Formats: sequence, structure tokens, C-alpha cells
Amino acid sequence: MNWPGFSALIHAWWFLLLIPLIVFYFLKLRRPRMEIPSLALWRQVISDQRVNSPFQKFKRNLLLLFQILLLCALILGAMQPYLSSGAQRVQNLPVLIDTSASMGALDGPGGKSRLDEAKERVGKLIDDMLPDQQLCLISVNSAARRLTDFTNNKRLLRESLAQLDVSHVPSRLEEGFRLAQALSRAFPIESVMLLSDGNVPQDVEFELPFKLNFQRLKVGGPNIGITDFNARRSRSGWDVFARIEGSKEAKTLAEYEFKQNGQLLKSDSVSIDGTNAERLVFKVSTDIAVSLELRLKPDGFDSLDSDNVAYLDLPKPRPLAVYCPTDMASVRSALSIIPDIDLFPGTESTPSAVDLKFSEGPLASGPEARMNVKVGFVPDELATLIEIESGLAEIVDWNRTAPLLQHVQLLDVQIADQPKLAKGISERDFELAGYEILAQSRSGPLILERSSDSRLDIQFLFHPDRSSLVFRVGFPILIQNITQMALTKASLADARAIPAGTLPPRRMEPETEFHVTGPHGFTDSGKSDKDGFLMGLGAPYVGTYEVTGGAEPQRIGISLIASRESSMESVEKLNFPEVSVSATETVVKTDEPLWGWFAFAGLGLLIVEWWYFQKKPAGLPG
Amino acid sequence: MDNTTQFTSLLENSTLARVERMRMLPMRRRTNRSRGEHLAGKGGTSTEFNDYRDYVAGDDMRYVDWNIFSRLNRPYVKQYRHEEEMHVVILVDASASMQFGDKFLRARQLAACFAVMGLMNIEKVSIFACQHAGTTPLILSPCTGRISMKRVFKFLEDIPPGGDFPIEEAVEAVLVQHRGRGIAVLLSDFLTYGAMDRPMNMLFSAGLEVFAVQLLSGIELNPELTGDLRFVDSESGQTLDVSSVGDLIGFYHEHLNGLQEYLTTLCRQRSGRFICLDSSLPLDEILFDVMKRKGWVQ
Repeated sequence: MNWPGFSALIHAWWFLLLIPLIVFYFLKLRRPRMEIPSLALWRQVISDQRVNSPFQKFKRNLLLLFQILLLCALILGAMQPYLSSGAQRVQNLPVLIDTSASMGALDGPGGKSRLDEAKERVGKLIDDMLPDQQLCLISVNSAARRLTDFTNNKRLLRESLAQLDVSHVPSRLEEGFRLAQALSRAFPIESVMLLSDGNVPQDVEFELPFKLNFQRLKVGGPNIGITDFNARRSRSGWDVFARIEGSKEAKTLAEYEFKQNGQLLKSDSVSIDGTNAERLVFKVSTDIAVSLELRLKPDGFDSLDSDNVAYLDLPKPRPLAVYCPTDMASVRSALSIIPDIDLFPGTESTPSAVDLKFSEGPLASGPEARMNVKVGFVPDELATLIEIESGLAEIVDWNRTAPLLQHVQLLDVQIADQPKLAKGISERDFELAGYEILAQSRSGPLILERSSDSRLDIQFLFHPDRSSLVFRVGFPILIQNITQMALTKASLADARAIPAGTLPPRRMEPETEFHVTGPHGFTDSGKSDKDGFLMGLGAPYVGTYEVTGGAEPQRIGISLIASRESSMESVEKLNFPEVSVSATETVVKTDEPLWGWFAFAGLGLLIVEWWYFQKKPAGLPG
Repeated sequence: MDNTTQFTSLLENSTLARVERMRMLPMRRRTNRSRGEHLAGKGGTSTEFNDYRDYVAGDDMRYVDWNIFSRLNRPYVKQYRHEEEMHVVILVDASASMQFGDKFLRARQLAACFAVMGLMNIEKVSIFACQHAGTTPLILSPCTGRISMKRVFKFLEDIPPGGDFPIEEAVEAVLVQHRGRGIAVLLSDFLTYGAMDRPMNMLFSAGLEVFAVQLLSGIELNPELTGDLRFVDSESGQTLDVSSVGDLIGFYHEHLNGLQEYLTTLCRQRSGRFICLDSSLPLDEILFDVMKRKGWVQ
């Protein structure tokens, strides 16, 4: 048995009020005087054994008893009693609430979502919160967002909880844990509570510095959804692929509609049996940019709606625009044999922007490009890290899995430019500068890659023309890899449905304010950079977003496209680098505050006392 | 009541006229040897035949039944009932406790009625009014005959109320001065701390048949009280704090009934009578209904 505890034991001093209460009661006790013929009978009555029974004695000073009980009830209420659950009490508790797409799954037809259940649990937690406890609500999906600071303001917590909504994005618990860890610098945190349906990656790349209470909610009902939607260039247009998967319990027929720019191209039904994926293939012949939409209509109950629709924007088919200075003859020669390439400078005038640009000097010249291949010099940002000297260098290691160097043999390639690292510089310094080393000699890196949402830079610190690379069979393969990367970057080779989270970077008018409106009343705004790239705009819900502010409004379809979210699978435990945390479906036990009961008792006593002594205004007969 | 036309302020004339024709009915014949109107033992000189006995020398020849002598040739003497005088002692409790309600008035009225009955039946009537403990009771010395009626009424009308004379001590004080057998009418509320055994025994030993009348007011018979009260004794001024009086009413009634049963038993064991009357009852109802039905008077 757990004894009640008190959160504000200091208020026990109020019990001293009992002394003046009792003293004043007896001092102020003024009984109505009543003259009667004789006290003889009343003395006999008072001396009666039954009258002096404990119960009658108790009744004799009922008013005093009521007042003492009332005072005790009020003081006990002020002392904030609680019934300990036996669990260790924490003062500051971050509560991570999973708001990923799977939390929107219903448990049955007309049922409640996982998030609603999580809200109920957190609501109970808030209700039972003691005055010395503080909660911090954190929403975790693909990113983490702090809903409240550490507070014991129940109204604020409830309001923040009510505003919590599901985002149609997959889970990334690391973000939430990192936010909790950041909070621990300001507040002592012993334990963190995670409320999730378990539809999260099992392996979490995070070193747990606190205890984790993984409260797993019941997983949603059967579900089917579109888990992939992409397209690949073909000779005749685009080959579009879609994958439809379901949860283990899902066994149903579903109709699908495939639309192009809003017009129905195909409608059919597909049978889904458990986790066996169904693959749909469509052919789209077009010479303009089109928007595709695939919509799924399950026959039976489907717990998650957000994965029943997917959007795919196909760009206008065109050759890859490549700019390569005429001085780089070897590269131009390798590019000339690759089909579907418009090589500049050439017979046509050079456009202001190309898809791929080669350059061999630090001075920027030529058109803008999203992918740049720079050869034979050290960029300014790396000048303090490395310098190139004359001398022979040899590549001793390279990243064979990198798209740039796939199937490229760099062994025994002789290079006339020898890198020399500055004193005290290591690979870590290049990483901090944003570069990834793809190939390395004994004296330093030779090929670097810097990637961002809008740009991709390949930096050759040596000039291929001053190496034996141009005479190797791997050189045209290297150039082919570069063009493939450029095609991918320009979405000319393939296209994929854009997952929810953030809008992909788009090239718009430079330095212009844009507004985004999306489903569920979502709005956002941002400004494009000087290059015209508009980035970082949110897109948390599945649906069509409209970007306005430029010359023409643009529509972007956002899809869920998350196999794990659609599968409704739930992990039993989370694997951290050193520990594993098992999930529990037991509702967390909290210390139950009792002050409300005492307040009600006090009110009840007050009413009873009032009723008892007001039923007849005085003791004398009317 | 218009005193100018009334014989006494205590009784209406009509009531007085009816009372004059009434007489008390004692359960035992407790009479004085002096001649009166109450038939006592045989050997008297009344006209009421009682028995025969053998003639012995010295008997009055006038009481020999000559008819019997002629038939049996043996002298027998006729005996007649003896008519003796009965002394009616009326004790009026005039203490402060009797001032509640109509108790004192009703006590004096009943005392007047019993006195009238005694006077009209050629009894000796004496009245004692007990007020203050330790003092001598007010006494109306024995008187008899209709001629004393005015004196009796005057005495009763002039009894001042108030005092703290307990009834048991009052009885003893009366018996110190009283001589004679008969009836002792006790008019009191009998709300006393002392025991009534001893005064009852003394009355019985003194040859007095007890007519105990307990007069209680409404607040004593049915106290409708609630809450916490401080009772003040009207005689002693002592106080008693009682909480939740309403819850003790049941116990009060039990003790009141116990007192009445106790007094009833005391009187019955000593050939006496006891009655408890609500002082608010009309006098005519008490006299001509309650007491007649209970056989106190006729």
C-alpha cells in the first residue's frame, strides 16, 4: 500500500489554526438561556448512560466537529496530497508525442485516431500533474517541435495538446530526443516519456542520456496505401511505377484512379493481401510537363487516408543542357558520345542556366547550373586547408559506392598535381567545410563533393588533363556518371513523388516573397534567394500546394510515400547504440492528486453544517 | 372572570356550586375519633346497622335487640357504624417551579375545590402552602363547616408564589405541625432532586391517605426544543448546558414517565392515589371528568 504524500507540506502549519478555532469556539459559545421549572429531570437525562455514549458526546459538539473537519479538509487540500503510484516521481518530464502519419490511423470504422488516444493519455497526465511537476510537450514526426516550455500551467498544456495535429510524414525519433537533450541543459531531466504507436524506426541513432518511458499505443486497424510512386524516362515518354502495400491484416480489394492533369487515364481494381506489394505500371507519353495523381479507394475499412493518394510531377522532356569550356577538350570529347545532351558552347547560343556545368578555374564564367564540376583548382573556402603543388600523386582510396565513381577504376592513375594539407588539417576539417572526400591520395584529398538541396558541386583538386585518367577507360564512365547525376538533379531521367515534410527546392524569381497554401488550411511563406531558389517551405500534409507570388502560381503535389507508415507495423523495442528500450502498453501510473477530494469534502461539510444549523434558526421553540 | 359577582376569584360560582355537592372518596377510612360524617368502624352511634354481639354486663341496655331476645331468650346487643371526622390536609407547592404555565393557579383551584368538598362534608380542612426551604409553611389552621369557606378562599388567593421548597421537605414540614388522620392532598409538580419514599412513608404512618396530584405545564410534558441550550433552574438559578436538546427529548420522556410510575407506585403501595395533570386542562374537565372517572371524587 502506498501512503499519500504531500506536495506542499509547508501548509501543515495551518493546522495551528485549530487552536484558536477551538479556543474561540468555547469562548464564543453562547447558548440561549432558557428558564425551566426544574433541572431535576434534565439532570437525570444528562447523566443517562446512553446520553453519555461516545456517539452522543460526539453529537454534543457537532458544530465544533464540523468546523474542525472543515478546517482540516481545507488545510489538507492546501497541502496538495497525492496518492503515490509507487513510480519514481520526476519533476521535469518531457513528453514526446509521435505525430507522424501513422498516428492518424483509426482503430476501427468511426473510431479514434492514435493521436486522439495519445492525447487522452497525456490529458490524464496533465490532470494528475502535481504542483511541483512540470511537463514539456514535444511533437515528433520527421522533425521535433516544442509545443510548450516546461510548465505546470494545465490550461496552457491542454491548449497546446488540443492544437496538436498529425503530420503526414514518417517518424524520426532522433529529432525529438535531441530536443529533449537540449532541454536537459536548462532543466534537470531524469526521464523522458514517448507516446507512439510504435510505427517508428527500430534503430535510433542517439545516445540516451536519460531514462526513456516508451508508451506504446495500440496500432491502427488494417490499412493499404501507396508506398511508392515514381517515373523513369523511356524512349516513348515516361514509365510510371506505383507500389501499393498493406498492413498484415489488410486483405481487401481497392479501386484506383490514375489521372493526368486531372483527367482520368486509367481506373481499375487491385487486390491487396497482407504485406505482399502490388506493383502498378503506367505509360505516359507527353512532351510537356504533367501532373499525375494516383488515388486509391479501398473497399473495406482503411485506417489511414493520407496514403491513399499520391502525386507525381513530370517535367517537360528535354535534352540535358551541359556547359563545358572548349579548353576542356577531353571532357567535351567524352560528352559528345552521350545521347540527349545539348553541349554548350556550341552552335547554339549558351542559355543563362544549364543543368551541368564544367569549369576549370576559380573565376566564375558561363551560365548558372545546379550541378557544377570544377577541376584543377582549390576553391576559396578550402584554401586554408589544402594547396596543390607540382608533383606526382596517386589515388590510394576512393568511395566506390558514390554515384560519381561507380564502375570507375582509379588505381594506378598518375596525377601531376599533388595535394598538400595544411598543418594540422584532417578529413574532419573538410567535413566541417561541407565537403565529402570521394578520392584521396597519400598526401590529401583529390576529389570532393559538396551537396545541398539546390546544388551539387564536384570538386576535382587536380586537372584530369594533367593525369593519366583521361587515357583510362574509366574516364568516359566518370563523365557518364556525372551526366546521370545531372539528369537526376534536373529530374530529367526519373521523377519521384515528393514526400511530405518540406517542399522541394524550386527555382523561381530571385529574391521574391512567395506564399504557399496547402491542405488543412496550411499556409507558409518564404523568400527565394539571389539565385532564385525557394527552399525550406513546409508541406506537412498530403495534398496539392499552391505557390503564389511569382509570375505564375505553381501547384505541387505532396504525397506520403512511406512504406513503414502504411504498414502499420509496430516495434517492440527501440534499439539505441548501447541500450534497448522495450515498449509498454500499460498506461503510465501517475501520482493521483487528492486535493480535489478534500475540496469537495470541505464544500460538503460546509453545506451539511449550514443545513444542520439552519434548519431551525434557534434552539428555542418558535 | 368578574370578581365582583364571583364568590372567589379561584372558582366560578357554577363550578363552586357543583363542587359543594361533591365529596372525596378515600380508599381507606382514615378518620379521627372525633365525631364526623365519615362512617368508621362498628360501635358507633349512627343509624347505620353494622353487627350483633353478645350482651355483656355494663352494656347500654338501649342497644339490646329485644326482638331477638324474645325469640332466642338470649340478649344480643346491636352495633351501629361509627361516624368519625376525617381531616383533609391540603399541601400546595408554592415554589417557583409552580409558576410556569397555569400550574400554580390550577393547584390553588384544586386546593380550593378539595377544601370545599371537605368543608361541605363536615371535615376538618387545613391548608399548607410551602414556599421557601427552611421556613415554616403558610398554614391555614384546621377549620370546618361552610362558614370557613371564605377563609379558605382568602388564604388560597393570597398565597404568594416563589421559593425553593422541595416537596419532600415540605411534606415533612407539614407533618411536624399536623395532627389527625384523613387525607393528604399534595398539589405539586414533584420535580425534586430528593426521594419521595420518606415523605410518603411519613404520611402513611400519620394516617393520611395520599391524594398526589402532579401538575405539569406543556413545556414539561412535551418540550419542543432543539439546538444547544442553557437551562436555568427557576428555583435554584443553577444552569445546565444541554447540546442537541432535540435528540434528548426521547430520553426526557422516558425519565418523566419513570418519575410518574415511581410516584404512582409509591402512592399505590401506601393506599394512595396519584394523577398527573396538564395544567392547561380546564378545571371543569379535571374535576368533573378526569377525577370522577378515576374515582377520586363523586
